Amino acid sequence: MSSTWREFMSWNKYTQVASRALRQALTETDRVAAEKRAAIGVRYQLWENGQGGEQNYVVPPAKETTPGTPPV
Amino acid sequence: MFASRLAPSLRALPRQASAVRMARRGYAEAADGKLQLSLVLPHQSLYSSAGVIQVNLPAATGDMGILANHVPSVEALRAGVVEVIEENGQAGKKWFVSSGFATVHGNNTLTINAVEAYQLDKFSPENIRSALADANRVLSSSAPESEKAEARIEVEVFEGLQAALNK
Repeated sequence: MSSTWREFMSWNKYTQVASRALRQALTETDRVAAEKRAAIGVRYQLWENGQGGEQNYVVPPAKETTPGTPPV
Repeated sequence: MFASRLAPSLRALPRQASAVRMARRGYAEAADGKLQLSLVLPHQSLYSSAGVIQVNLPAATGDMGILANHVPSVEALRAGVVEVIEENGQAGKKWFVSSGFATVHGNNTLTINAVEAYQLDKFSPENIRSALADANRVLSSSAPESEKAEARIEVEVFEGLQAALNK
């Protein structure tokens, strides 16, 4: 039973799942810091004839919601 | 196999006999006979070639304790407590590790690579309980097997955490 994850994923994925679960179990302040550290973003850029093309995110980051102007 | 077992004991004799050779030992063979531990995370180095007495590991194949001059081994870790005993008679320092690898090298060094490791006071029992309930709900639902496999991993992490916190 303990090895069923091997049928579905690599050890890397297993580690990411376990680490994500562990982060959820932290106290609030530690969890926020850990989630910031854990975010992984990948960008790629295609090069042709020595010129770099447009840089694209593999997974676009969620847009930061700007706080509205506070009521006067 | 037989010849390699003889060789270390043959090599040990001339080393002890020569005081000059002892002065030129590598950094890992410290005169105090301690295991050199490097416990590293991607964002932080908890121990960096520090001399310790014993390290207890939650290996996937079972719990194990590593002392100085352990035979070289590579062990995958499961979610569990890594306990480091720095001095004889001191209580061990504990970190709960999500997953990783422990490698004992031939020169009395132990390297533990982990993704996340936190001391036990950083966890919240309510968060563990609610996350464990969520994972169990996925397990008892009709989700595809791959999602259930992920939920099983999470259950293992949370149950290990609860056991470690209750000790």
